[in-house]
Amino acid sequence: MMVLPKFEYKKARSVAEAVTLYKQQKGKARYLAGGTDLIPLIKHRLTTPRTVIDLKGIGELKSIDRRDGWLTVGANVTLFDLKNDPVTGKYFPALYESLDATSCETLQMRGTIGGNILQDTRCLEYNQSLEWRTARGFCLRMGGSECNVVKGARTCFANYCSDNAPALISLSAEVTLVGSEGERTVKLGNLFTGDGVKPFALEAGEILTQILIPMKKTKGAYEKLRVRDSIDYPLVGVAVSAAGAKAKVCVGGVGLAPQVYDLKNAGDAAAVKEVADKASTDSRPVANATLTPAYRKKMVGVLLKRAVKRALAEGK
Amino acid sequence: MKDDLNIVGKRVVRSDSLAKVTGEARYTADLQFPNMLVAKVLRSPYPHARIVGIDVSGALKVPGVKAAISGFDSYGVKWGVFRYTQDHAMLHTDKVRYIGEDIAAVAAVDEETAIEALSQIKVDYEPLPAVYDPIESMKDGAPQIHDQYKNNINVHIHIDVGEVDKAMEKAFLVREDTFTAAGEAYAMMEPYAVVASYKNGYLDLYMPNAGPHVRAKALSNMLKLPLNRVRIRHINSGGAFGGRSEVAPGDLVASLLAIKSGRPVKLVLSREENATSSRQVHDIIATIKTGMKKDGTILAKDYKVIYDGGAYSSTGPIATSIPFYVYEECYRFPNVRYNGYRVFTNKGIRGMYGCHGRAFLAGNEAQMDVMAKELGLDPMDVRLKNGLRAGEVTATKSKITSCGLKETILAAAEKTNFKKRWAKPSKLKGVGMGCVAIMCGFPMGFRSGSSCYVKINDDGQVTLVTGLVDNGQGNESMVIQVASEVLGVPMRDINLVCADTEVTNLDPGAYSQAAAFVGANAVRVACENARKQVVSIAAEKLGVKEADIGLKDGAAYSMKDPDKKMPISWVVREAFFRGEPIVATGSFFPNIDFEREWVTRPWGQMAGTFSFGTSVAEIDIDAETGRITIPRFTSAHDCGRAINPMAVEGQMEGSIQQAGVAAITEGNLWDKGHLLNPDLLEYKVPLACDMPDMDTIIISSRDPAGPFGAKEGGLTVRMNAYSAVACALTNATGELFTELPLTPDKVMKILERKKGVK
Repeated sequence: MMVLPKFEYKKARSVAEAVTLYKQQKGKARYLAGGTDLIPLIKHRLTTPRTVIDLKGIGELKSIDRRDGWLTVGANVTLFDLKNDPVTGKYFPALYESLDATSCETLQMRGTIGGNILQDTRCLEYNQSLEWRTARGFCLRMGGSECNVVKGARTCFANYCSDNAPALISLSAEVTLVGSEGERTVKLGNLFTGDGVKPFALEAGEILTQILIPMKKTKGAYEKLRVRDSIDYPLVGVAVSAAGAKAKVCVGGVGLAPQVYDLKNAGDAAAVKEVADKASTDSRPVANATLTPAYRKKMVGVLLKRAVKRALAEGK
Repeated sequence: MKDDLNIVGKRVVRSDSLAKVTGEARYTADLQFPNMLVAKVLRSPYPHARIVGIDVSGALKVPGVKAAISGFDSYGVKWGVFRYTQDHAMLHTDKVRYIGEDIAAVAAVDEETAIEALSQIKVDYEPLPAVYDPIESMKDGAPQIHDQYKNNINVHIHIDVGEVDKAMEKAFLVREDTFTAAGEAYAMMEPYAVVASYKNGYLDLYMPNAGPHVRAKALSNMLKLPLNRVRIRHINSGGAFGGRSEVAPGDLVASLLAIKSGRPVKLVLSREENATSSRQVHDIIATIKTGMKKDGTILAKDYKVIYDGGAYSSTGPIATSIPFYVYEECYRFPNVRYNGYRVFTNKGIRGMYGCHGRAFLAGNEAQMDVMAKELGLDPMDVRLKNGLRAGEVTATKSKITSCGLKETILAAAEKTNFKKRWAKPSKLKGVGMGCVAIMCGFPMGFRSGSSCYVKINDDGQVTLVTGLVDNGQGNESMVIQVASEVLGVPMRDINLVCADTEVTNLDPGAYSQAAAFVGANAVRVACENARKQVVSIAAEKLGVKEADIGLKDGAAYSMKDPDKKMPISWVVREAFFRGEPIVATGSFFPNIDFEREWVTRPWGQMAGTFSFGTSVAEIDIDAETGRITIPRFTSAHDCGRAINPMAVEGQMEGSIQQAGVAAITEGNLWDKGHLLNPDLLEYKVPLACDMPDMDTIIISSRDPAGPFGAKEGGLTVRMNAYSAVACALTNATGELFTELPLTPDKVMKILERKKGVK
């Protein structure tokens, strides 16, 4: 990759300071947490902020607390620390597995849960150097007239590749957002717009400050399709969390937004198959990842069934 | 052969290890010279276009820019390994032929300035129709990439031995299959980098390279400088695997910029540029027809193999031939026809690869298993039956002088309980065996041999000077170990000067697997000549016969009466007194038929000797996802004698990764002329966690001409590991693969095909 282009670096000490800094930059700024997603994007000139506002130093976003029936996880908590918090493994096995399946441990120590949720969507024809993209011609998302993967398409088919958002959605997690207009809390599942250019329903300058997970013991599993056992982003990811017979299933890695399905009776094989078939039918993978779309579509159902089976298995 | 060796054959820590593990070792990108400039290259955004004009004047106006060049600043001399393949000017002024091709370049005080300057270069292109698929490219009416190659056929290798058609008629079983494989990325740890400096009419260059002398010759031609004015200097290399063998466009770019600016220039390619604009590996389509007798004897082979050659000839004739040769050097083919076509496409430049030819080799081996099964035979027995033995001659007339093929097959099979497991595979678990042979060196004219100069200094330390190259495989340590054995001087007291065109003699370099057999042999001979001088003086001084003198731990001693001894340093000082310092040269020139030519005369002795190897892969397939896992991998390699067994095992393990595990993960993905995975995130080099348990078995056939019996150390695994995986898939599913790599989507197709048949 090329050297980083020049940008101004500012370190915020509090959420309020960060929001103010952002406002001063008039939309030409990006927030930085662990940087594992942002820095490669800047190197590829996929985003060229005038200012980068570093949130890492904000201490208030670094804690994990149990409060009023919720586990609140600060956005700056690293994936590694969240994985190793005993509560995660004990209460939220799907999340434990998705964290463990994220990249490799070294990057888990760098990447934060907030940054992981807000990572940019990915596409083989998009995550390339400026020279590469210039030679290819800009796609819809870069200001071109059509998708470069599906000829003629006026829609973006990039993949949202967070391993952990599907797990959190299966746990009915919510997120707190703080911006110049104040604070709001939304269901994580509602954070996605389905719009390739602007995949998250965030106001300009809003910061995801914490993740709230209902403090309820669950059974769960996360199944991830990838070519190698580490590093790789999911080609399909399926998270399942169950409390009693009821389960929530979330499919990620295909398309712009995770898809959620409710299972009234996770122990009913026919019902699971029905949801698996539906999820597979709903998914619209295209040739923008390293394995074929037809195969990935099929794997949505296969992994969903597998995840449910494993979640409900004895000893989980 | 002498077996009471002191150090050869011992597991020693390589001489380069400490510097490399501590980060002290310097590579090209680490070099810093006063006033050094940073170079950046402007690359073609078109797969195929006429160049109407290039204007670099805008770049020169950017403050901090010290030089800007294009092909118009070069002589336009076209490079090629052979006279008939000279088609690559590195910086062209007429056409661009692939996306990412070098078109112009700048040298500036820093990288930001250089990037800014590139945007000020104006190039007028007239886009031309392009072709990306070799089959399309061969058709009449396809866009013509070079005027001189009709139907874009760069090279046609035609070999015809015996009577193939008649033999096919006589065969009990005939089968024809087609296999394809995506080209691979070399994915060296070190992306390509070069530093060039031009002073007093001398051009000094540093870059990872596999042969400084051939590099210097190519650049002296292109720059029209006398050969002695182009000096390629020694530098550590972060991996080559065949991808650093030839002169690179960046070599010319950096040289021109250094000459123009009068300042040292450094060019370091990004990982993505390394993929799109240095060399790649050929995509291959191999059609294999085999005729077998009822007892499994191969009667005939008929091949048509198409190599996607990218935009230029590169090592074309060699690349089009090697997969065939490493196979005919392994098995007896009484009748064989090979039609290899290297075809131009508007894709990046391609070169030789350590794992070259996987569609062809894995295809042959997997097909052999299917035929063996149909005949009720065991594939190991079929390999033993058809395998060549010492004293035999290959189909194209190369004599095999030492051969441990049988031993590698038996050892690998025994270790894995192969016969039993192959006969009764459990559900979706399989074992597979791949065999191959490798030439140790091949015809490179007068550069096929190596020479070494050795001197012993007044402190008893030794200095070796040799053209030998180390690309990370441990060649430097290997020759130090050989010298240590011959001279009885500890490895730490041996200094090596190598791979520097000003100082060192010709050597085949670190390709064609010649370093151990040729390079180390020259070092052995030189040291033996120096040893004679030491022994002569020591015998005189100690009052014993020369035959009684032994050299060990830096001392000469009487073997009969070990109390009689003296340090070698005393011997050396005596030699200086006599005005006859201990200096010696030694050469080794392998027995090669130099009438042999890749296209016009494809027969005769290919190399001085051949190594042999067998790999066995054990795989499990996930029935629902098609994902292959490889729990265990066993490789047996006949390296003649391992000079350093630890280094040989390291090479074998690396090969298991780069060829064996890569067979399920690695392949370039293309969208027409756009390489979709130029990075190491989407180009899937196997990771540590993907590696199987490995068993490496060294077989010592003791080559009569090799240094202490040695041949090359590990390459057979690079060319049989994917075969083992492909054969294991056949064993597990009963189906042949059609396409590599065996990623889960492709395996799923095979499983579905199988279900469909039932």
